[in-house]
Amino acid sequence: MEKMTSPYRWGMVIDLDRCTGCGACVVACQAENNVALCDKKEISEGRGMQWLRIERFWAGEYPDVRVRFLPVLCQHCHDAPCEPVCPVYASYHNPDGLNGQVYNRCVGTRYCGNNCPYAVRVFNFYPHTWPQPLDSQLSPDITVRSRGVMEKCTFCVQRIRRAKEEARGEERVIRDGEVQPACSQTCPSEALVFGNLADPRSRVSRLSRSPRRFQLLEHLGTHPSVYYLKGGGREHV
Amino acid sequence: MKRRTFLQLGGMTAAGAALAGCRSGNEKLIPYLIPADEGVTPGKAEYYASSCRFCPAGCGILVRVSDGRAKKVEGNPAHPVNRGKLCARGQAILQELYHPDRIAQPLKRSGSRGSGEFRKISWDEGIALLTEKLKALQQEKTTDRLALLTPPLSGTLADLTDRFMAAFGSPNHLSFELLAPDWLRRATRQAFGRASLPWYDLAETRYLLGFGADFVEHHLSPVQYGHAFGRMRQARDTVRGHFTYVGGRMSLTGASADRWLPARPGSEGTLALGLARLILADSLHDEQALAASGLQREKLLRRLAGYQLTRVAEQTGLPQQAIVEVAREFATTRPALAMAGEAVAFQSNGPEAVRAVLLLNLLAGNLNRPGGVYPAGGGGAGPENSFSGLLSLVAKMRADRIGVAMIQGNPVHAIPPATGFQEALARVPFIVSFATLLDDTALQADLILPDHAALESWGDVIPQGSAREAVVGLIQPVVTPLGDTRQIPDSLLATAHRLGGGMAASLPFQSYREMVKGAMRRRIAPARGTDFETAWTELLRQGGLFGKIGSTGEGFRRATAAAWPEPGEPRFAGDEKEYPLHLQVFPSTAFYDGRGAPLPWLQQLPDPMSTVVWDSWVEINPRTAAELGISHGDLVEVTSPAGSLRAPAVIYPGIRPDMVAIPLGQGQQGGGRYARGRGANPLSLLAMIDEGTEPRPAWHATRVRLTRVSEKGNLVTAGHPQGSYRSDLVGI
Repeated sequence: MEKMTSPYRWGMVIDLDRCTGCGACVVACQAENNVALCDKKEISEGRGMQWLRIERFWAGEYPDVRVRFLPVLCQHCHDAPCEPVCPVYASYHNPDGLNGQVYNRCVGTRYCGNNCPYAVRVFNFYPHTWPQPLDSQLSPDITVRSRGVMEKCTFCVQRIRRAKEEARGEERVIRDGEVQPACSQTCPSEALVFGNLADPRSRVSRLSRSPRRFQLLEHLGTHPSVYYLKGGGREHV
Repeated sequence: MKRRTFLQLGGMTAAGAALAGCRSGNEKLIPYLIPADEGVTPGKAEYYASSCRFCPAGCGILVRVSDGRAKKVEGNPAHPVNRGKLCARGQAILQELYHPDRIAQPLKRSGSRGSGEFRKISWDEGIALLTEKLKALQQEKTTDRLALLTPPLSGTLADLTDRFMAAFGSPNHLSFELLAPDWLRRATRQAFGRASLPWYDLAETRYLLGFGADFVEHHLSPVQYGHAFGRMRQARDTVRGHFTYVGGRMSLTGASADRWLPARPGSEGTLALGLARLILADSLHDEQALAASGLQREKLLRRLAGYQLTRVAEQTGLPQQAIVEVAREFATTRPALAMAGEAVAFQSNGPEAVRAVLLLNLLAGNLNRPGGVYPAGGGGAGPENSFSGLLSLVAKMRADRIGVAMIQGNPVHAIPPATGFQEALARVPFIVSFATLLDDTALQADLILPDHAALESWGDVIPQGSAREAVVGLIQPVVTPLGDTRQIPDSLLATAHRLGGGMAASLPFQSYREMVKGAMRRRIAPARGTDFETAWTELLRQGGLFGKIGSTGEGFRRATAAAWPEPGEPRFAGDEKEYPLHLQVFPSTAFYDGRGAPLPWLQQLPDPMSTVVWDSWVEINPRTAAELGISHGDLVEVTSPAGSLRAPAVIYPGIRPDMVAIPLGQGQQGGGRYARGRGANPLSLLAMIDEGTEPRPAWHATRVRLTRVSEKGNLVTAGHPQGSYRSDLVGI
C-alpha cells in the first residue's frame, strides 16, 4: 500500500546501451560514501564492500561472443524482501520510496542480506581502517560504519537530504536533475539517470516508459525503483 | 599560517559555477554566531575548480573541500572536454593526495641505488646539491650532459622547461610517454596535411568503425568519447549509432561494439585497404570528397589491386562475408567514422596501417563534417616521434654522455627494458627524481625533490585531441600542501635562481604561480579591457579559458603529397614455432600505464572484462587454454625472446586463439604499500624488432609461449569466473 506522503518517489534508469562498463560509478560511489578499502584476502572470501558492482556476462563462443555489462545496486524495492526480516527495524522504507538502513540500529543478524535477491547488501565482517592520511578524505556527511553493521547503496541519501533542506528553505520541491547520486553524476556516457518517478515529466520518468525497459528479477515481485533499458545490437551473434 | 591567510595569499577561488546534483545552497547560507575560525566553517563545503592530470586528456574537475580537506572530485560541468563527467581514475586522484606513503620532504640516497635507503634533507640542501651538480657541468663547459625526462608537456610547464634547458645549454629534453599519441599526429599530418591530433565527432556519427581505438579505457580522451558514445547510441530520436570494432582482442571498448572483427594482429591496415577497395569497386564512396582530394577512382582501384577480398580474408583471418558487409555498412551509412588506435599503431606496420584507416574517412566524405573527423583544438604542433628521441637519449646515456638526469614520471617502470633505457640510466652518475611516492624511478635516484600532488598544485594544461574548441584548463591547489613538498617548476626556478647568471635571467619569476598567471594574462590581454585580477579570479572560478570552435584554423584536407600507405606484412619478434602466440599488452581502465597502481581504490576496482582485483593476469582464449591444459586461475609462465614472467590465467572468450593479453601497470618494486611487489610488468617481455631504417615502438609485435606452472595462481575475481552464472534470470 502506498501512501503519497511525499512528493518524491526516487528512482533510477540504467541504460545498458549506453553503459560501457568503465567503472567510474563504482569508484565515485566508494569515494562519496566512505566505503571501506578491501584487500585481496577479503575479496577472495566474498567480503568485498562495494555498494555498486558491474556484472559482466559473456555469451556465445569465440568468435561470436558478446559481452553485457549490468551495473547492480540496491534496487530500493517497494516490496523489499530485506525489510520485513530485520528484527530491529534497521532496514525500513522511507516515504520517498527509498530503502533505508539505520546503521546504529543494526545488530548484525544479516537476515536482510540473506533475503536480498540482488545480493546488494554488504556486511562489515571486518573492522575497516583507512591508513592516515587517507581518512582525511572521508566525508563528514555520512557515517563511517563499524564492524557488525550492514550497509548498502542509499541513492546518496545525504545528497537528497541536503537538496531537500535547500528546497524547503526556498519553499519549493527539488527540481529534476538537481540531486544526483555520485554514480549518475560521474557516468561519462550518462547511462545512469536518477530522479523523481512521481513527476511524470522528469527525465527518469520519461526514460522509464521506454519500450526497452525491464526490471531485474521482475518475477519475484519486489517492484524495484530501478529500471534497466535493454542494450541493442549484436544481433548477428 | 592561518588557513584564512593562506587562502588569501594563495589566491584560491571557490567555484561559483552551478553544479547540478550535489552542491546545495545551504553550504554557504547558514552563518555561524561564533566568528568562523580561519575562514573555514566546519561542515560547510566549498568547491574549487581545477584540472585532472592523471592522463593527458585534461578533464576539468570540481573538488569538494570541507574543513580544509578534499572530499570528493566531480567533473566540471562547464568544461568542454568532459562536461561534468569523470572517469574512474579521475575519481581516485584524492588517494594520490592522501596516500599514506607520500614522500614528505626531499631525500638523499644513503644506501645503494634500489635499496630504498634515503635520508631526509632540507629543501635548501636539496636545491644546493642539484645546483652544485649543474654548476659543475657549466664549469666544465659540458652543459649538454644534462638530461631532462618528462611526459609530454603543454602550456606554461612546457615553456618553463624549454627556457630552462635552452638557457642551460642542453638539447636533451625528452618528452616521452608510452601511450603518447605521436604516431597519430604524424599519421594525421601525412594523411591530411595538418599537424594536429584529430577530434572525432562521435556523438553525431551513425557508424563507427574502430580499429583498436580503445576510447573507453584510454584513447585520447576517455571521458569525452565516453560521453559522445552515449549520445551516439541513444541521444537521437530514431537513430542509434552502430559500432564495429576491429582487433584481435575484444577490449573494454570492443565489448560495447555491435560487431567484433578479430583480425589477425598486424593485418588491420590490409583490412582497411581491402574495405577501401570494396567501397570504390561498388562506387559507394563519396564522389565529391574524392574529387576534392584530387583522387580518381580508377587510379585508386589500380593501386589497391593487391587487396582483393580473398587475399584480405586470408591475411586477416576474417570471413569474406563479414568484410563485405562491413564495407557496405560503412560506405552507405552516413555519416560514418573510422578511428585507429594504439592496438594498431604499435604493430610493426602500425604507421602505415593508421594512415590506411584515416583514408577510409576520406572515402566516407566525413572530413570537417558533423559525424566525422576535425582537427582538434589545442594547437597543432607536438612531437611526432618521441620514440626515436628516447632511443637517442638511451644511446647517449650508454655512452656516458649524460652526467645529470632529472626525471618527472616513472619511466623506469613504464618503458620497456628492451629499449635499454633502465640499463643506460644506471650509468648516469647523478639522477634526480621528482616523484611523490617512492616509485621504481625514485628508488634509482640519488636525490628526490618531491613534487606536490596534483590537488596541491598550480598550473595550466592544454588538452590535446580532447575537444574541437581551444581549451586552456587551469590547475589550482584545493588544499594546503600536506608535506614539505614543492612543485617541480618551483624546484626548477629555485635551481635557476641559485645558478644565477643567464639561468636566473631567463627565468625571472618568483614562483610558478606567477608564471601561470602571466601566461594567462598574455592570452586574454587582447580580448578584454577589464581589470585582469577580476578576469583571473573568474577564470579560476570557471576552471580555465574555454574558447570557441573555429579558432583552430582550417580543417583537414587530403595531403596531396601523401604517399600511398602500404602496410605490408607485419613482423614479429620471436620465431613462430618457438613462440606460437602473439602478446598484446594493454593499459587497463584502472592502472593506465601504471600510474593508477598505487591507489587502493583502483586496485580494488574489478577490471571490467576479467573482474580481477589486486593482481595481474594473462588472458587466454578458452580453446588455447584447454589445449595447454590451463584452467582459470592457474599460474602460468609467459616467455618471450626478451624475458619471462608468471601470472594467473584468466579464460577470456574475447581474444583470438593465437593471442594472449596482459594488462600494464603492476609489477612495481616501489610505488607505496598498495602497488609494491604486486603482479608482473609485461613490458619486460617486449622485444625490439629490427625495422630497418627507422626505429618504431612496436609494442604489440612480440611473440610468446605459455606453459602451465601450477594451480596456485592465487587469482581473485569479483565476478563469477564463467561470467554468466544464471544469466537467464537476468534476461539480458
